[in-house]
Amino acid sequence: MNENERTIQGTEEFDTINGVNFLAHAENTLSSSPILSAQDVEVQFTLRGKKLTAIRKCSLTLYEGETLAIVGESGSGKSVFTKCFVGMLDKNGSVTGGSIMYDGVDLAKFTTEKEWRTIRGKKIAMVTQDPMTSLNPLKKIGAQIQEAIELNQGLHGSAAKAEALRMLEAVGIPNPERRYNQYPHEFSGGMRQRVVIAIAVACRPQILICDEPTTALDVTIQAQILELIRKLQKELGMTIIYITHDLGVVANVADRVAVMYAGQIVEIGMVNEIFFDPWHPYTWALLSALPQLGIKGEKLPAIDGTPPNLFNKVVGDSFAPRNHHALNIDFLEEPPLFDVTPTHQVKTWLMDPRAPRMEQPDTIRRLSNHDMGSAQTSGIVHPHQLPDREPLIEVKDLQVSFGRGRKKFVAVDDVNFTIYRGETFALVGESGSGKTTIGRAIVRINPTTNGEILFKGKKINGKIDKKLDNEVIRSCQMIFQDPMASLNERAKVDYIVSEGIINHHMYKDQADRSEKVQRALEEVGLLPEFSSRFPHEFSGGQRQRIGIARSLIMQPEFIVADEPISALDVSIRAQVLNLLNDLKQTRGLTYLFIAHDLSVVRFISDRIAVIHKGKIVELAESEELFRHPLHPYTKALLSAVPNPNPYLERTKKLLVYDPSIHDYSTDKPVWCEILPDHFVYGNTAELAKYREEIGE
Amino acid sequence: MKKIVNLNVDQAAVDTTEHKYHRGRVHVHARSVMPEKQLFAEAEYKAQEAERIGFSEYSYWKSVMRNFLKNKGAVIMSVVFILLFIFTFVAAVIGKYDVHNLRIDNSLMFVSPNKEFWFGTDNLGRDYWSQVWYATRTSIILAVSVSAGQITLGVILGLLWGYVRQIDRLMTEIYNLIDNIPTIIYMTLIALMVGKTTLIMGVTMIGFGWLGTARNVRNLVVMYRDREYNLASRCLGTKLWRVLWKNIFPYLVSVIILRLALAIPGTIAYETTLTYLGLMDISTPSLGILLRNARSYFLDYPYLLVFPAAIVAMITITFYLVGNAFSDACDPRNHV
Repeated sequence: MNENERTIQGTEEFDTINGVNFLAHAENTLSSSPILSAQDVEVQFTLRGKKLTAIRKCSLTLYEGETLAIVGESGSGKSVFTKCFVGMLDKNGSVTGGSIMYDGVDLAKFTTEKEWRTIRGKKIAMVTQDPMTSLNPLKKIGAQIQEAIELNQGLHGSAAKAEALRMLEAVGIPNPERRYNQYPHEFSGGMRQRVVIAIAVACRPQILICDEPTTALDVTIQAQILELIRKLQKELGMTIIYITHDLGVVANVADRVAVMYAGQIVEIGMVNEIFFDPWHPYTWALLSALPQLGIKGEKLPAIDGTPPNLFNKVVGDSFAPRNHHALNIDFLEEPPLFDVTPTHQVKTWLMDPRAPRMEQPDTIRRLSNHDMGSAQTSGIVHPHQLPDREPLIEVKDLQVSFGRGRKKFVAVDDVNFTIYRGETFALVGESGSGKTTIGRAIVRINPTTNGEILFKGKKINGKIDKKLDNEVIRSCQMIFQDPMASLNERAKVDYIVSEGIINHHMYKDQADRSEKVQRALEEVGLLPEFSSRFPHEFSGGQRQRIGIARSLIMQPEFIVADEPISALDVSIRAQVLNLLNDLKQTRGLTYLFIAHDLSVVRFISDRIAVIHKGKIVELAESEELFRHPLHPYTKALLSAVPNPNPYLERTKKLLVYDPSIHDYSTDKPVWCEILPDHFVYGNTAELAKYREEIGE
Repeated sequence: MKKIVNLNVDQAAVDTTEHKYHRGRVHVHARSVMPEKQLFAEAEYKAQEAERIGFSEYSYWKSVMRNFLKNKGAVIMSVVFILLFIFTFVAAVIGKYDVHNLRIDNSLMFVSPNKEFWFGTDNLGRDYWSQVWYATRTSIILAVSVSAGQITLGVILGLLWGYVRQIDRLMTEIYNLIDNIPTIIYMTLIALMVGKTTLIMGVTMIGFGWLGTARNVRNLVVMYRDREYNLASRCLGTKLWRVLWKNIFPYLVSVIILRLALAIPGTIAYETTLTYLGLMDISTPSLGILLRNARSYFLDYPYLLVFPAAIVAMITITFYLVGNAFSDACDPRNHV
């Protein structure tokens, strides 16, 4: 992380970064002509007779050749807004106002599919989020690309095939001749997304809309896909709209950024203006809530509450109820767009000359001073460094496999670690690495095939007696990844939260039970009267907190948090992280925090274990791991971490991990404590190399 | 910070304050009489306000009823059906003949409906009115209880079959064993060996009728079984029956109701078949028996077929419509 530690000297240094010239781009954007211009667009959906206004008079001008990123939380309308550029709104929705001018035509007036077909795919193409569902599983990859080419370019037969092969090569798929005849299931997620991109750009669109193109992918793959889109943009001269909730992606790719909230663009400006000089309180809050900017041991500045219900008419500034800097007028009148600079507009009353002068919050200043990471260490004593550290969970030679016989698949192999009381132990790895499997093995959902799991020195895997089983259930709880799937939709919050104490008869009477439920809800920051509601009435963050309340009511000592924030919006992540940290303090909880994002983990955890393909490759105290990563996989992961600072993000060097560099044929690898509390997996030769690295 | 701002496009914009570029003084049309100074004062932050949730109070069954009542056809048909069932009792009281004391009188054979015999008489000269309404009542009671039995058994076994992995194999084999041999063969054997009373045949129909429902329920349970909320319940140590009842059963309500609604006309049809084959006791009149009887004479005396057939048709259509409407109403995706 040398890039992180670099101090910023002057401006010239940034003029040419990664072949992307900030200033040049900024000036180009101003001088280049608008390619698409949306004015006062309003989109309404009809749901069971009720009208939902998803886009409320939103205007946007897109300039030729630029990359515009639209950020916002789910439900802010960022997807819907761009879907009306290609006529892909759901059946119950329609553009009810405004105009979308493209090439002299008003797209908002289009009604028939025939009209749309002249634009969609040909002029404006779209890449969607999930590469698993956007390809037809029953058709060969080549045929799917060829179909797009034949439909939109008028090429046929061998000419179309040649073009398809050229496209496959252009999107970086090795061996296109062979890949042409394969089916989607033979491709990995990243490869599939490349194919989707190939189909989208096959007809040389002028505008490419990428709707969360990398959200479903691992960080290392994500960086490659972003690089690919950038390359194609330069080659084909496309204008790109990115829709994303990940500010790291925005920092990486965008020339301009639009921040959306409740169906409106609240702030729009050049990427450096949005990141270093934002003026809308919502943008402040979004940036401040990033765990990357957090200081360990301190609270993250979170945005409380939830976005407004767009079924109702929004009065005044839609962000006002959640805004700590709100003015009285925010509750009465909708603010107009104020210009900060010719390229930077903000929709907030704070910019009105009559409003009191506000200072940007400290975190924004920290971001603009490139002061990141360094602020995170503040002399905290981690529980594993205490002399009387008490092992709470010990995992020894753990192996978990699924299936048997020829179909046997070893998900976790030869895993060793100890979690001490009071610490947050993070387990980081890509999807499919087996991190969730380990978590579930500890709470006894997944059976183990080999090895031992000890809780307070007692073996808890395999067959155990009833009394210990009950004790383990009470003391070890789990928080799940997807708040939408982890709550029973057909039970009231009251039942969901009290399920555990009903099972273990941990209450005297009904009054005692409902009091316990209300106390648990209050503890996670929800109103006690929510107990009579059903889960679908809550937002993602609130649902996740209900899930936490369900675990807390059991008075656990140890909690497995399985990616508790990865399905949440940026603004809500901070709420949940703060809550977990608070509970750790007030209740002395110990966490196993499972994540795929190293940046989040750095803020919350004491120690980090990196897992790859079912094996833990490195384990160290978190700052130590960030300072001296040893294993090449850890280095690759660290290099790919998205950074919410455009300068640092664009200067970062990507490392690619190739497992074939390890030659374990003769020299078997071992799990070795190379420094006190710093473990790494490697063979003798590798360990010697690592020791040398430390010695430097 | 200034240094960063210097990177901005327009040097002039940087050197002045941010306010220089705002688009003139915006006129504020606040509805209140708040003075301007107060309008631009900082408002008090209310945490409760921020945490407020969008939707109103919601009750599952209330929404089900509201959605069901919107379907006018189904509501009318269900009212008509209830009236029909009540009328089977009323008909016995207002009728001139008691169904249990009908005499065979050859002189009164095939009397067309008239003032004395409202629905005419049958081939043995017995009053048809009292027979039709009594048969309707018997058939409805039989159909409802058999269907309810089949569905209850099917749901319980289907839930276990789907959720408990260890018995999946066993249940699949039992299913194959029973389902691969036509049920009519089992029914014939039992009718001949055990007896053909309504009770025995009813129990037998339940005994073989749960398969379809169980299979259907099992497939749905497998879909829901490994959802995260069920894993959460396992983490909390919830007992099997509670997981099935609280976590999985509510998701199946709409399917179960649809199956129940379709099972009722199905049972009436099946009962008719059994009677037709002579596998049912014919001492208690049921719609099946009347239809079987009418089959020989209906070309000459169509009224014998028309009355019971019309009632069977009405019951079938009612349950089909009501079942569909109710299962749609039970689907939470149709709520909000």
